[in-house]
Amino acid sequence: MDIVSSLGSGFGVALQPYNLGLAVIGCFLGTVIGALPGIGPVNGIAILIPLAFSLKLTPIESMILLTSVYYGTMFGGRISSILLNIPGDAPAVMTCLDGYPMALKGRAADALAISAISSFVGGTLATIGLTICAPLLASAAIYFGPPEYFALFVLAVVAVGGVGTGNPAKTLIAGILGLVLSTVGIDPASGVPRFTFDSFELYDGIDFVVAAIGLFAISEFLMFLTDREGGQGKRLPVGQIRSSFRDLIFPAATLRSSALGFVIGVLPGAGATMASFLGYTLEKKLSDKDGTFGKGDPRGVAAPEAADNAAAGGNLVPMLTLGIPGSGATAIMLGMLVTLNIQPGPLLFERQPELIWGLVAALYVSNFILLVMNIPLVGVFARLLTIPTRYLMPFVVVVSYVGVYSISNSPFDLLLMTLFGILGFVMRKMGFSMIPLVLGMLLGGPMEQNLRRAMQASGGDWAILVQSPLSVGLHVVSIAMIAAAVTFELRGRRRARAAAAP
Amino acid sequence: MTIRTKLGLALKGALVLGAAFAVSGFAGPKPECIAPAAPGGGWDFTCRTVGRLLQELKIVDRPVQVVNMPGAVGAVAFAHVAENRSKDGNLIVAASSVGMTQIAQRRYPGDADKMRWVGMLGADAGVVLVKADSPYKTLGDLITAMKGNPAVAVTGGSSGAGGYDHLRLLLVARAAGMGAADLRKIRWVQFDGGSTAVTQMLGGHIGVVTTDLGEISGFVESGQVRALAVLTQDRLPGKFANLPTAREQGFDVVGLNWRGFYTGGQVADGDYDKMVAGLKRLYDSPEWKETAQKSGLTPMWSGGKEFEAFARKSVNDLRELSRDIGVIK
Amino acid sequence: MSDRIVGAGLILLAAWYGWAAGEYEAPFADPLGPAAFPQLLAPVVAGLGLWLVFRPDPEPDWTGGRVLVLQAVSVGLMLAYALLIVPAGYLLCTTILAAALAALLGARPLPAAASGAAVSVGTYVLFTWGLELSLPGGTLFAGS
Repeated sequence: MDIVSSLGSGFGVALQPYNLGLAVIGCFLGTVIGALPGIGPVNGIAILIPLAFSLKLTPIESMILLTSVYYGTMFGGRISSILLNIPGDAPAVMTCLDGYPMALKGRAADALAISAISSFVGGTLATIGLTICAPLLASAAIYFGPPEYFALFVLAVVAVGGVGTGNPAKTLIAGILGLVLSTVGIDPASGVPRFTFDSFELYDGIDFVVAAIGLFAISEFLMFLTDREGGQGKRLPVGQIRSSFRDLIFPAATLRSSALGFVIGVLPGAGATMASFLGYTLEKKLSDKDGTFGKGDPRGVAAPEAADNAAAGGNLVPMLTLGIPGSGATAIMLGMLVTLNIQPGPLLFERQPELIWGLVAALYVSNFILLVMNIPLVGVFARLLTIPTRYLMPFVVVVSYVGVYSISNSPFDLLLMTLFGILGFVMRKMGFSMIPLVLGMLLGGPMEQNLRRAMQASGGDWAILVQSPLSVGLHVVSIAMIAAAVTFELRGRRRARAAAAP
Repeated sequence: MTIRTKLGLALKGALVLGAAFAVSGFAGPKPECIAPAAPGGGWDFTCRTVGRLLQELKIVDRPVQVVNMPGAVGAVAFAHVAENRSKDGNLIVAASSVGMTQIAQRRYPGDADKMRWVGMLGADAGVVLVKADSPYKTLGDLITAMKGNPAVAVTGGSSGAGGYDHLRLLLVARAAGMGAADLRKIRWVQFDGGSTAVTQMLGGHIGVVTTDLGEISGFVESGQVRALAVLTQDRLPGKFANLPTAREQGFDVVGLNWRGFYTGGQVADGDYDKMVAGLKRLYDSPEWKETAQKSGLTPMWSGGKEFEAFARKSVNDLRELSRDIGVIK
Repeated sequence: MSDRIVGAGLILLAAWYGWAAGEYEAPFADPLGPAAFPQLLAPVVAGLGLWLVFRPDPEPDWTGGRVLVLQAVSVGLMLAYALLIVPAGYLLCTTILAAALAALLGARPLPAAASGAAVSVGTYVLFTWGLELSLPGGTLFAGS
């Protein structure tokens, strides 16, 4: 089929005034919802499904609304990461690392602008990827079986080791504790409840959002009490975009991360969080020559943002071509399609070309809308920081609680969140970084389940883990990363010793 | 994570409609449907579709609020209703054979009699699938090979070991005369959903999938996979009429995944009867028939007392079977 | 010292975690079983705990006294919030929490109370009307 003419007719659909209006509404609501701590893409979409029903939208209109909300939440999640050091949703966790230090230096507006631009680039490149090679990619994704997924998750866990700052042992401890926490709840393969203390609230495991918001938002408040008493009540300077446009784009970082993010997004089950995290790690490995990452390096904002938006686009590939959800957000959209009597799967491209191409065109459009909408908003958001902290911090705490509660309706989650806040405070005081913990929680489940699946398939023969070139290749990369880290660490220590010696 | 949503976000105008057509099929002011799973799955679909139709057909005068309460294959929602909502006459909870299997294997806090079973609206057919280029042309081919070596093909589906997808495969194998020891040797891999299992099969990672037809019907139609058998009483109507049943191939197994609802165990008779009547009206509408067929469900009605008896019987049957096969002690 | 305590705590955690995992058994056809992965993690946790016991970082600067009291009070307030939100209702609980936290941070009583009420009502309106997510109205005082 001729892509250009199909896409052309797709734009014909997407640019109809009503559809355009839906995209604008979706983008705006998505940005707002994404910025609220605790409510991410999954819930953002779920919240808006009823709107689609009550407006009696057609399938294509619904999908335009929902995907623009989806892209919008990916844009919005970074706002609270940068301004408040609280990730608005899971993929925005990595943006805290350099975004918040930038804000502390008075470059909040720059960081917001950088993330908006790289999000746009990542999202648009992913949409181009989706346009050109969706069916091809979908057929490649099926080569990832349980052993290959296991290798991929091992690689990701190994990469976690490179994220923390300070004592490497503490980074490892945080990461492993994350894996430990991920085993809480019912084991999907066998149905056995593990480490639940017979409490039904824990049967579904510890919700990642509850843990992350507690670790970041609540501990931030407790930290602030200490800092204030220490006499360093920090007052963040207000930001206008101070840099020229040229200083806000980082082509190499953005392009690399977009490509990586898209590929990871195409793999079902890997998702945007893993993409933003690997995008950040890759960029740090490649370009952190002066050790500025983690201290407010703008490339540390550009890379994860490009990667997570690219992954969001990549996630749509298996959803549209195979009918399998690559993430929670696409799972809901699939459910929506089915409810509207559209059967996603291998025949969707043939049977509903106008839906697919209209949707693809709408993705380009909403990305553009988001960029245009977000740049002027930068100043508005950055001005949030002029609210005196004694009012802003309680506001943040309250919004975190209400965000978590409104989604789960569970007071237990609020208690858990507070406990994670105390844990986060102790960890920060003692020099543990929290991001490995959070990543460990996310990666542990799929890592274990794919190992179990591989073993079920092989009847307990471990050799299955290294039987395909793909999994061998991934394991080799993991081993190389460990070797490089160990060498680096030892060399650093030898140098320190040499310097200490007279 | 649980997600709470309400239908009818923007158009509060629905309220006005409600006042005009006060012919409520359900009892109270705020009808609610709990989907004991995350958005996107079968239970979520049941709640959302039925909720939408209930409102469209004016069986309820307010939008049906769909609440996702995932966890432990429905056990979390079951516990929640048993503890907090057992008298709530506005609440229905999506249920299916998958949940009954969990109850039968005592994975829920309580037995079927803890709830009142309202009714079922349709059923999804179980299918046994292989890749289009598989050497197994019929169910007989596969079973003969498995009798020789139970581990000859890796099987998989959307449920964990001992769950409903797995049980259906074991039922077929048992019907062919395979003993309990051999059944245990069959390799089973759990995936997050039927379509994921099928794509893993297309990638060559597993050889056989047993799951519901509805979710994966696209793959059957496109010819990428071959359905060795559908696990229904008779052949399906419509576009899948060409698929052979297991029964006609000599394996007397029916594995339907019905879709229906339960409500709290202490709901008043009046409320319960209204619910049954409301669902019956929905079932009788052409809209439901159309929706069901498009999503691969065969419309099938059972409600009230009859359905209560059915639910208890199927729990007992599944429990006996699970014990026979060795899934539970 | 703090690092050593945490290290020892991790070793205990690992011991319990590995032991508890040993109780889990797959009922059917699962070669690896639900115990293997936790039992793989447990020794790593213990090893890293041991590392921390022998190679601790310098003692962090734990602020004591007044700050500790303030922190304890705020955590207490947050826990009470979680326990009371359903019976006492969202608006009341949130007003008190936001006002009290602002006061803890040094706001004067009147502005603190005003900001608490504003935050509470504002978020209530946003979530219940804007996003149509239900928040508890409270049963203690409403009578129903």
